[in-house]
Amino acid sequence: MAHDWQPDFEQLVDEHQSMVFSLALRMTGDHGLAEEIAQDVFLELDRHLGRMESRDHVRFWLRRVAMSRSADALRRRTARRMDLWVEIEEGHGMQLEDRPSPLGSRLEGLLATLPEAQRAALILRYQEDLTPKEIAATLEAPLATVKSNLQRGLKLLRAKAGESLKEYVRGA
Amino acid sequence: MDEFEKELRQSFERQMAPSGLKAKIMLRRRGTAQQRSFSLFAWRGLAASLVSVSLCILAALAIYSGHERHEAEKERQGEAVRQQVMTALRITNHALNHMNRQLAAHNHAHRD
Repeated sequence: MAHDWQPDFEQLVDEHQSMVFSLALRMTGDHGLAEEIAQDVFLELDRHLGRMESRDHVRFWLRRVAMSRSADALRRRTARRMDLWVEIEEGHGMQLEDRPSPLGSRLEGLLATLPEAQRAALILRYQEDLTPKEIAATLEAPLATVKSNLQRGLKLLRAKAGESLKEYVRGA
Repeated sequence: MDEFEKELRQSFERQMAPSGLKAKIMLRRRGTAQQRSFSLFAWRGLAASLVSVSLCILAALAIYSGHERHEAEKERQGEAVRQQVMTALRITNHALNHMNRQLAAHNHAHRD
């Protein structure tokens, strides 16, 4: 189907670089790796630019590819038995103003301990504010699986936070 | 949404991309585009070279084939000439033999 929208690559990078970088960073926990993934995702977008039909399509495509490339990178890193989250723990590669607050950092650290599928669902739910249905479409997973991952991930994260951050026990 | 989820949403706000990210993407994009255009240029060059080499080979084959045909024609003409000479020699030989026989018969009649 013909579409009138003419994508401007540079403008799309401006618009979506934070989203793509944040998704990759929260999935991998590695600042440098997240930056590499973000670059690769945008270069892939450049190759597929002709197929993009709208801004929403681009946003959906970027989320899906960023999550997929991050999962691939995680598997490669796991295979090499490299310790993840080193950079977030140590704050390497991040400017001072970019570093999350201690509380946020703690939650991000706890997020890293969750299974990959639960982590992906929670990131898309709370960073991108997606509905379970949208998350299922992004991750190409069944809706029931996504709902289950969200519930289990949230429960696990709440339990872990309760252990380390006592003030959240009341909210549990 | 309870307090914990609200806190989660706040903690999971998008982070600013590193300041040089866009520049790196644009640089790699230009590099990729140059690589693509160089590849296209290289492929075109290779294709042009292949066509030139093919044309040269075809021309050489045509010349060789013409030369072979010319040689075969010369050989055929040479053979024809040789056959004509052989025929002429056979006729001459036949005529000489005939004359020789007549002379011998004449000499024999003269002695008698």
